Amino acid sequence: MDIIIVGAGKLGLRLAELFSQDQNNLTIIDISQERLENVSSYLDVLTILGNGVQLKILKQAQAGRAELFIAATSSDEVNVLACSLAKQLGSKRVIARIRNPDYGEQIDLFRDHFNIDYIANPELEMAKEIARNLLKGYSIHLETFAHGKVTMVEFRVNDLAVLADKSLSQLDLPKGLLIAAILRDNQTIIPHGRTKLLLGDVIYVIGKRESINEFSQVYNAPIQKTPVRNVMIIGGGRASYYLAQKLLMNHVQVKIIEKNEERCLYLAENLKGALIIHGDGTDRELLMEENAEEMDALISVTGMDEENLMIALLSKKIGVPKVIAKISRSNYIPILEQLGIDLAINPVNIIAGEVRRFAQGGNIVSLSLILQGEAEVLEAIVPDESQIVGKPLSKLNLPEGIIIGAIVREGSVIIPDGSSVIAPDDRIIVFCLQSEQTTLEKLLQGKRGFFYELWHNHKDSR
Amino acid sequence: MNYGIIIKILGNLLLFQIAALLPSLGIALYLGEPELQAFLYTIGILVLFGVPLSLKKTKSKRIQAKEGLTIVTLGWVLVAFFAAFPFYLSGVIPSFTNALFESVSGLTTTGASVIDNVEALSKGLLFWRSFLPWLGGMGIIVLTLAISPTLGVGGYQIYKAETPGPTAGKLSPRLHDTAKILFLVYLLITLALTVFLYFGGLSLFESLIHAFGTIGTGGLSTKNASIGAFNNHFIPWVISIFMIAAGVNFSLYYLMYQRKWRDAFSNSEFRLYLVVIAIGTILITLNLYGNIYQSLSESFRQAFFQVSSFITTTAYRTVDYESWPRFSQGILLFLLFIGGSSGSAAGSIKVIRHLVLLKLIKREISKILHPRAFIPIKVDGKSIPSSVETNIVGFFFLYLVLFASGSLLIMLFENIDFISASTAVAASLGNVGAGFGLVGPGHSFDFFTAESKMILAFLMLLGRLELFTIFVLLTPDFWRN
Repeated sequence: MDIIIVGAGKLGLRLAELFSQDQNNLTIIDISQERLENVSSYLDVLTILGNGVQLKILKQAQAGRAELFIAATSSDEVNVLACSLAKQLGSKRVIARIRNPDYGEQIDLFRDHFNIDYIANPELEMAKEIARNLLKGYSIHLETFAHGKVTMVEFRVNDLAVLADKSLSQLDLPKGLLIAAILRDNQTIIPHGRTKLLLGDVIYVIGKRESINEFSQVYNAPIQKTPVRNVMIIGGGRASYYLAQKLLMNHVQVKIIEKNEERCLYLAENLKGALIIHGDGTDRELLMEENAEEMDALISVTGMDEENLMIALLSKKIGVPKVIAKISRSNYIPILEQLGIDLAINPVNIIAGEVRRFAQGGNIVSLSLILQGEAEVLEAIVPDESQIVGKPLSKLNLPEGIIIGAIVREGSVIIPDGSSVIAPDDRIIVFCLQSEQTTLEKLLQGKRGFFYELWHNHKDSR
Repeated sequence: MNYGIIIKILGNLLLFQIAALLPSLGIALYLGEPELQAFLYTIGILVLFGVPLSLKKTKSKRIQAKEGLTIVTLGWVLVAFFAAFPFYLSGVIPSFTNALFESVSGLTTTGASVIDNVEALSKGLLFWRSFLPWLGGMGIIVLTLAISPTLGVGGYQIYKAETPGPTAGKLSPRLHDTAKILFLVYLLITLALTVFLYFGGLSLFESLIHAFGTIGTGGLSTKNASIGAFNNHFIPWVISIFMIAAGVNFSLYYLMYQRKWRDAFSNSEFRLYLVVIAIGTILITLNLYGNIYQSLSESFRQAFFQVSSFITTTAYRTVDYESWPRFSQGILLFLLFIGGSSGSAAGSIKVIRHLVLLKLIKREISKILHPRAFIPIKVDGKSIPSSVETNIVGFFFLYLVLFASGSLLIMLFENIDFISASTAVAASLGNVGAGFGLVGPGHSFDFFTAESKMILAFLMLLGRLELFTIFVLLTPDFWRN
């Protein structure tokens, strides 16, 4: 696929990383030579120095031939303009990043008027993700698939101390679930029977909802569901605005603390029902004064990772049950989660996953990035022509990094073993390492010689 | 440092070398030449080393600048080392030092030889000797990149380290495709020249050898008298034009293929290159006319051929240019320090560096008049980053330092005159292959002592890999983790 990305910022780079793992031809346009040099030192891409709205530059990048054109510069207006021009030149699908809430109501207008196929709004997606998490009200990270029939839960081995120092084959796991991955010292491990669980590990368990419930009861790691009624948000930026909007719609009490007075005014005018407080969220006195300890959840979404980290730790200390922090640098996320913060969330990772799902189109129903974006869990409908249809799983020679966690057929969930056979139109829930994405994609499309490709990729990954 | 991937790629490179040996092997087999055995043994040795290395399992495929530089340098050394085996094992070059000199000189497109009488060589070995510069001209590793698809990201580090010139541009998003395009251009030009030569009356074998010699800028021939042996006006003309073509940045041909004619022809390096050729040719023509040759057309033809031959660092010859007036010889001597364009098969300092250096001089002069003027150095409308400017100045100085110290070292080991010693060094460092005096037309490098040969061979490698690549590897800091 020929892909053009305008803007080599955080999102542009993350997308370039994601797409470069597949057999794509990537071209990156940016106005900074330094940034371009940095990209080309570690990604196999063509870089073009210049303004992505300039026709000359777009032609040089052969925008007319591009199947995917993504504008992710820091300016919404530039993104819209670049996309519109690229579409004119003949790019098949164009994606623009638009972040400003002022344009929130006219997104559809943008889409129609400027022929933009997908509008990416990281702050909005992040707000949605946080709201989803809060409204579900689970005490731990949990994803549901196939209308809630299949669940993936993240457990800390510290909470299930009986499991520590045992190998998987020694465990008496309930039927209908499997441990798909282990996160240990920031390394992802795909476990097999002899793998031992250690204290400090985080395990990802996929299975039937009932089995997961059974597991949590047996090992005394209850998945509590507590409704969230009071939320405090620190920082009044775009993400905060979108999140407050979502929460208010669901009748949650929202309190926002924001440093900038003008911004406070804007929020107060536009968010009916929210309490806006002018002050510094890192100030412990202020948090106490505003009853932070009585909140059901506290979300820190200021523009600074360091501040979010401080605030999150502070609020955990004063006893807020659920603390979520926004972190823009992916490599901080594991540190935060080790420090006991419930969820560290990276807007770039979320939007990157969304954009990729849009680009793949077709049969992927939902996709979530886990392990700091190192892996993904996705729900897909298996097409007729796919090469994984009609053969026992043990004969498919799947690479280690692809694990079929569940098959949903006509409403019932099957947790597969080596002898299971996938039928067309089954929904499968797959755990997949980032490095095996290309393989998985081909597996699901099944148009090209799958065995050849699989062997090829497998050989390379050794 | 990721040693696993380095070993694996070097292994693949050796397997690639087996493939490169097959044409020579085929010729030896077809003609029933006794050198067949030498080729077979070499392939055996390559299998013995190449297969285990290429099977090396790697944890990560990560190639950073360090790994890239190591792969390129060791790759060239290893390939040159094994390329010497056919010469040595066949007994044609009984000393291994000499065989190594021959293979390094070939692979680096220098074309300096220790063989006095090439006409006595067997066809298979002659083919191998001439095929080496062709492989080296495009860069053995870029060739490997074009053929084997899976180097991925790290390939760029390798590509940068091997491509001649201060900057290495990509032609397409994926490096594998870029390498394929360059390889295809290279192959097509070679084929075109082969056809021309064939219709100009050479045998197919001779056409191929001279096409390799011309396009790879190695300048190796099947005749002791080089191109002068063909008593014919057509062959020198065709070869002159193709030598110039081989000294042009290959990516310009891709621009032409994309019909971006204006971009291709307005390239300032390309223009300066043609201007230098034109000035050199005119000056030598005027100098020769009435002095050596009585007709203007004869003077022009000889001048054009020799200028093309020296600026592209090919070193083919039609005449004994040492019988020319001192002025003409002087021009040829200075052309040794100019070289072809970046991204071409030619060696030496390269036209683009001279262009930037000239602009730097101009800027320094204007800066004296307007001390606070902000004057970026622009090439083709784009300003050059200051890091590239300093790199070019550093390169130029290092080149001169190597030239001076190399010449002194040669004079220490040999009892020869200054011109012979210094032009031997210039011819090695610039990957030219011929100079003046004892290394002038018709002379081989056989008389040098083993020490001098190793120094010259080292200079050839330095020159081909653009000095810094190898020097970085020689610093202790590079090997520290």
